[in-house]
Amino acid sequence: MSKMRWANSGVRLQTAKALVALFIVAGCAPNVHSAAVRGTGYVRMDEVVKHHPLYSQLSQLDDAIAAINLQAAGPRVPLGAQQIAAQTAELNRELRAAQDRANKILAQKQREYVQREQQADQAALAAAGVHGSGALAAQQLSNTSAAQAQQAAQAANADFQAYQQSVVAQNNAASSSVVKQLQTQAEQKYRAKAEQLQQNETDLSLRLTQQDAAARLAIKMRLSNLAMDPAARRQAQAQLDDINNREASQMLAQRNADAATLRAYRAQLDRETGGAIRSQVGAIQAQTTAKLQEHRNEVGTQLRSLGGAPALPANLSPNVTAELARIHRQFVGQFQADAGKTINEYNATKSDLDRQFAALHGADVGATGAAAKELGSLQKRRVELYQQILNQVERDASRIAKDRGFSIVFVNIQAAVGGYDMTNLVIQDIESQHE
Amino acid sequence: MNLRPAILFAVATLLGALLAPGAIAADLTDVGFVDQAELANLPVFVNANRALASYKAQLDAQYNGQLRRARTDAQKQQITLQFQQQFNDKQREIVGPLFQRAQLAIAAVSSSRNISVVVDKRIVIYGGQDVTKDVETIFSSPQAVSPPVSTPPPSEIGFVDQSVLDGIPKVQNANTAMSQFESTQRQLYSAKMAQARSDSDRKQIMQQYNKLVADKQDELLKPLVDQTQRATAEVARKKNLLLVVDRADVIYGGSDITADVQNALGK
Repeated sequence: MSKMRWANSGVRLQTAKALVALFIVAGCAPNVHSAAVRGTGYVRMDEVVKHHPLYSQLSQLDDAIAAINLQAAGPRVPLGAQQIAAQTAELNRELRAAQDRANKILAQKQREYVQREQQADQAALAAAGVHGSGALAAQQLSNTSAAQAQQAAQAANADFQAYQQSVVAQNNAASSSVVKQLQTQAEQKYRAKAEQLQQNETDLSLRLTQQDAAARLAIKMRLSNLAMDPAARRQAQAQLDDINNREASQMLAQRNADAATLRAYRAQLDRETGGAIRSQVGAIQAQTTAKLQEHRNEVGTQLRSLGGAPALPANLSPNVTAELARIHRQFVGQFQADAGKTINEYNATKSDLDRQFAALHGADVGATGAAAKELGSLQKRRVELYQQILNQVERDASRIAKDRGFSIVFVNIQAAVGGYDMTNLVIQDIESQHE
Repeated sequence: MNLRPAILFAVATLLGALLAPGAIAADLTDVGFVDQAELANLPVFVNANRALASYKAQLDAQYNGQLRRARTDAQKQQITLQFQQQFNDKQREIVGPLFQRAQLAIAAVSSSRNISVVVDKRIVIYGGQDVTKDVETIFSSPQAVSPPVSTPPPSEIGFVDQSVLDGIPKVQNANTAMSQFESTQRQLYSAKMAQARSDSDRKQIMQQYNKLVADKQDELLKPLVDQTQRATAEVARKKNLLLVVDRADVIYGGSDITADVQNALGK
């Protein structure tokens, strides 16, 4: 009798629980056929995407794309390594042409002034009644040449030192640019490898989740049954734990393998980059040495063209000597002024070329052609990943819509007065699949 | 205690609530969709697009040449407008008749199926009537397609033309201010990025830049976006619409509420 009462009260308790559950379900579930909903649902896709497990990867890609775009927004025109090499060669050609031009003009001017001074000396000597004026004028000319040679040698030495400093600075800029470029390339390769491995891990995670989705959902539905007895609940929970553990252990194994691959790849890249840096920087230094040697030879040629200086004869009157000295000063002054213009023009050209050279080598070589390539690759991956997320969200939303009896479900709506917002349902569903 | 009457009462109340006449209405079934990507793969569209692309390539070469010779920004702008106009004319000439025929085919299918609105497939993820194949059949038939005798029936799906709303002076001003702000900041932060020495520095700079832009968006654009959404919902409520989508996603029919939203925002 007492047992019967207990049994009856158990049945009543179960019925009451079922009723409560019925009310809860009725209270939570949308009435999809009401006048306000009319079988119409909508999903705020942007919101759902933010809750997708792959969203963090999508954000990383977005950040990487934005970073490259931000770097590219600078005023520099991106150039590839080959373009830089070609433009450097062109600048060097222009520099050599400017040097040759300046040397030729100086030599021409020198000849002209020598001739004019010679004529002035002859006229002065003839006026003073001195014979053998031609030889004397030649000696005077040699004097002029000797003084000019000394001045030119000083100028040429100063120019050579400036050139040396400039070439060494260019060498340093080019070397550091090459080092930076090679290191950036290595870093990009490493990042690409890391991203590829990460993508593989994500794919595996998604594959495992999809593979177990049906089983997981079935177990969860069983677990959501309030009337389930404790033993069955424990068994179901154990099955769920098994699935989770199996997935976790597969993921862990994959992660460990990937980490080892990455370590090995880093070591390989370091070796390759170190070798490439030594080789390329060595080549730049060899070029620098050759350039300096070439310029030294040019300076030597220039000095030789100015000639030597024999001694003056001692039998000239003081007046004639003074007159010849005045003529000499006059022509030296005129020559220096005239030659100075040519040298200034050459220096201006050289400064301009140096500036262009520095700007060219100051450009971030690593963030140019390679960056554009990386940007393209990142954008492609972003599109693919986003599509992957969308596909899953659409599949899940469609299943929910079908289960709940919706007639149509929209995305990307501007405003809703009616219809049912399925966003949270889809978010819950996606999160439950990836717990 | 006997629970049976209470259970019966509860179930009856629940069923009553669920099945009350006011709570039940016919589902929305007069919505169709077209897969425009599939239509674009029809040979006539493919050929037309190819011809247009070839024309554009020629035009681009001329455009770049003229742009290089332009001395002022005003000249550049004029050249750009002129070439844009030329391209639009050609587009109308080549693709216009095809679009017109496709529109007639969509209207014919909608009329025969009592569809009040046809939208792009991208915005329907479940249900609705897929009319793509029917449209393709009519479009590809050799006969001329006649326009339907009646206009589409009123739809509970509304749409707004975002490009028109963007033209409202206050929206336009806000968008311009935002663009200028972004442009200036991009230059500044780009220079900072160029000086960054490590990935961590670059990440920090990016975060600062993103926050700056997001804050400015919240300040300049968000109030207008919220206002537009409220105005759109209010107009939709008055017109007994269920949902409002973007004009760009509507291919046929639907209720255009752009002017009403524009007026509401202009107040």
